[in-house]
Amino acid sequence: MHMQGFFLGLSNGLTCLAYCTPVLVPFMLGEGRGVAHNFVALMQFLAGRLAGYLAFGFAAWLFNVAVLGRMGSKGLFIGILYVIFSSLMIAYAIFGREIPCAVRSIDRIAGKIRIPLLIPAAAGILSGVAFCPPFLLAMTDAASEGSLSYSLFFFFMFFIGTSIFFIPIPFVGALRRLTALRIIGKMAAGIVGLYYLYAGIITLIAGVKGI
Amino acid sequence: MRTDTHQAPQGEGRGRTIILTAIMAVITAFMFSGGKIPQDPKEAIALILTFLFANVLFFLLIYTGKTDRYRAVFFSTFAVMLIISFISHMFEARGSMSLSEAKIFQCEVPFCHLVIPMTLVPMALTRTIIFPGSLIEGYAAIASMFVIWIGATLALGRGFCSWVCFYGGLDDGFSRILKRPVIKKINPKWIYLPFAVLLFVVLTAAAYLSPTYCSWFCPFKAVTEFEAVTSTKILIQTIIFVSLFVGLVIVLPILTKRRTQCAFLCPFGAMQSLTNKINVFDVRIDKEKCVKCKRCIQVCPTLSINEESLEEGRTRITCMKCGKCIDNCPKGAISYHIKGTDIPGKRDTYRLLFLFAAFLFLAIFSSHTIQSGIIRILKLITTGSMIS
Repeated sequence: MHMQGFFLGLSNGLTCLAYCTPVLVPFMLGEGRGVAHNFVALMQFLAGRLAGYLAFGFAAWLFNVAVLGRMGSKGLFIGILYVIFSSLMIAYAIFGREIPCAVRSIDRIAGKIRIPLLIPAAAGILSGVAFCPPFLLAMTDAASEGSLSYSLFFFFMFFIGTSIFFIPIPFVGALRRLTALRIIGKMAAGIVGLYYLYAGIITLIAGVKGI
Repeated sequence: MRTDTHQAPQGEGRGRTIILTAIMAVITAFMFSGGKIPQDPKEAIALILTFLFANVLFFLLIYTGKTDRYRAVFFSTFAVMLIISFISHMFEARGSMSLSEAKIFQCEVPFCHLVIPMTLVPMALTRTIIFPGSLIEGYAAIASMFVIWIGATLALGRGFCSWVCFYGGLDDGFSRILKRPVIKKINPKWIYLPFAVLLFVVLTAAAYLSPTYCSWFCPFKAVTEFEAVTSTKILIQTIIFVSLFVGLVIVLPILTKRRTQCAFLCPFGAMQSLTNKINVFDVRIDKEKCVKCKRCIQVCPTLSINEESLEEGRTRITCMKCGKCIDNCPKGAISYHIKGTDIPGKRDTYRLLFLFAAFLFLAIFSSHTIQSGIIRILKLITTGSMIS
């Protein structure tokens, strides 16, 4: 069960990479100070991203305590959320909608940040504030267990899973095939969506039986 | 100064073809028989027929210069014979094609190469092979399949999918039934789906230590073996893999004239595509000879040539080296090639080198299966049943 966050992160990471790098790379690599500097920038970005994810882990726990914990049939509600978000994920994979990821607004926000060193970190935090279907599924998953440690651990693993794909960023040459990665990432998201849809329907049926 | 005399693919001369076929005949005679003539008449007939079948096709391959035409005959026969011999074997050993839980726990499930992508990460992390098969003994042992896969991958890259895979001949065969495709336009984005499937099955296999593709998707379970339906979950899995078999292995190959299972689903194929990068052989297009008729784009069974790759004078990473584009090019602009050498260079030599390696793998890997299939057919003719 603890691998779930990692697994979801890995399956979503390719999409994150494909969508976020065109926005991030100019900020991270624009100064052209070499691979070592790029790695520092990447670390700043990832630290910001981790902070954003942990904040959402905390929010997922709060949601569980405030809303789910007071409901009679938690399984039913979680099942419904799974079905909705996984359907959104499948729709996103099929119809090719743009991901509502906050990192896209870094262009505007960067102009207001006075310390350039903080720009990658700000981009990281923004990338952690995403409302894309995989992220919403991760929220549901993290909220389903009920403990703060689980929620934080889930998002930490989600962070690790998505971050693996960012490692090649300092070597810009590896990013030539972004279009292909984007398509593969979307398709993988669609397949994961189908998996969660199945899990959601099973949870939903169990929830209905529990009433 | 270049001349344009070399148009459509030309074969070797008769004398050279005979010498090359004789070499192949000696190798295959030894490999097929294992150095001894079988005493059982059915086995002896099967051995002779398989030997003749392989060497006549090799002769034609070399003599006519046509690669895909004769490869496909061998390749599809291999797939059909696998079904005949495998199903007969399963009925003999278990009484049905379905697998019981007991057999799974006894680790008696035959291993196939499609499982390999799912086993690598768990093997590295846990030193465990997540498949209920036998490591070195019995029918289709894991170790032997790994050895064949490593050898064939080093020699052929994704050529594995057109020369070694014992399932590929099915959709290859079905894709040749109609003369013209009914569905002509296919979104080229679909060629990325196997990579997404690969990503998914590798991750889920690593996360759950279970070969998820085998359980949920593998269409070839429909013609080999499958789990006995004892729960709703297994029923759903059965519906999925039977639908994928009917859709991607039979119906769509017929309608599109493409190998849709191999091109749009198979995660093993996606993994093999990546090995094309390290393989010494590739297929190249001589840009000076190419007249941009786009015939190669139309006939490629895996959409591995597009206008962009045509401009670059090469096939895409997903190329299976089947030779269909080479056979169909009216100007003889496409050829097998050894990386790092000139184009067209010694194209006939490159072709022979590739064909020798590829055909040997196909012949040796398929010989036992084809012989076994022929024996089953002879049994059917003489006794009225394929099983003992």
